[in-house]
Amino acid sequence: MSSTRDVVFKEKDPEIGHYSDPPLLVLASLAGGAKHGHAMIEDILTLCGTRLGPGTLYGAIARLEQHGWIEPLAPEDRRRPYRITAQGAAVLRAKLTTLHLFSKAGLGRLEAL
Amino acid sequence: MRPGFAHFLLRLYPRAWRERYGEEFEVLLLAGRGSIRGDLGAAGNVVWSAFRERVSPTPVVARELVTAAGPGSVLALTKMPSAFLPLAMSMTALAVLGGHLILFGIAREADEGATAHIWQILMAGQIPILAVFATKWLRRAPKLAVKVLVLQVGAALASMAPVFLLNL
Repeated sequence: MSSTRDVVFKEKDPEIGHYSDPPLLVLASLAGGAKHGHAMIEDILTLCGTRLGPGTLYGAIARLEQHGWIEPLAPEDRRRPYRITAQGAAVLRAKLTTLHLFSKAGLGRLEAL
Repeated sequence: MRPGFAHFLLRLYPRAWRERYGEEFEVLLLAGRGSIRGDLGAAGNVVWSAFRERVSPTPVVARELVTAAGPGSVLALTKMPSAFLPLAMSMTALAVLGGHLILFGIAREADEGATAHIWQILMAGQIPILAVFATKWLRRAPKLAVKVLVLQVGAALASMAPVFLLNL
């Protein structure tokens, strides 16, 4: 059995290893400060290598806004920045904590292979 | 992305969505990568997202649409096809019936004519639209949806009343 520690699959297919949970990515991006759509796309690309499409991004923005996890700020030159709310930050923290525990456990199991 | 293409893509979204996010979304599309491949990828993403938005509107957009004309107003709901179409169909059916009565009187015909068929199509055709409206809006805006449903049912009853009262 080949080792699962190498990253050969990631080199062959850049999509492997990308994380795509648009609402969570938007929350994580806004945790670094208020941003408008284009800045969020670039930030998320830097953060995890995932480029969100414009429709996907605004689908996530609309749903996060509906939950009250992000809020719009005053428009700046036709671009509207958004910022994370206290509730959104709590949700992000909870989700990332779960992901952290999950990845720690998953990677621990891989080490044992 | 070219402005004309970005504007075209934006038009794929429902009006309520465009009113809420249209301007900033168009700016985002215009700030796209510019390569043909990048634009086509973004366009595909937008087409799919717009389709999803039409099938299942984001509740925050729906809520804004509902409250756009002020609290308690049914005006905003009547802007939506599934809200006003049944009303329009009932009113058209009533008008067709009224026109027939004016032209031919209230004599009962042995065979169903074109007027009867048009009336039946209009009345039966609105049932699935009413069902769609109720399914979609009763959860999201119950009070306003009930008001519109009462209007829709009232209009349908008004259209049916002459048929039963005059035994047509």
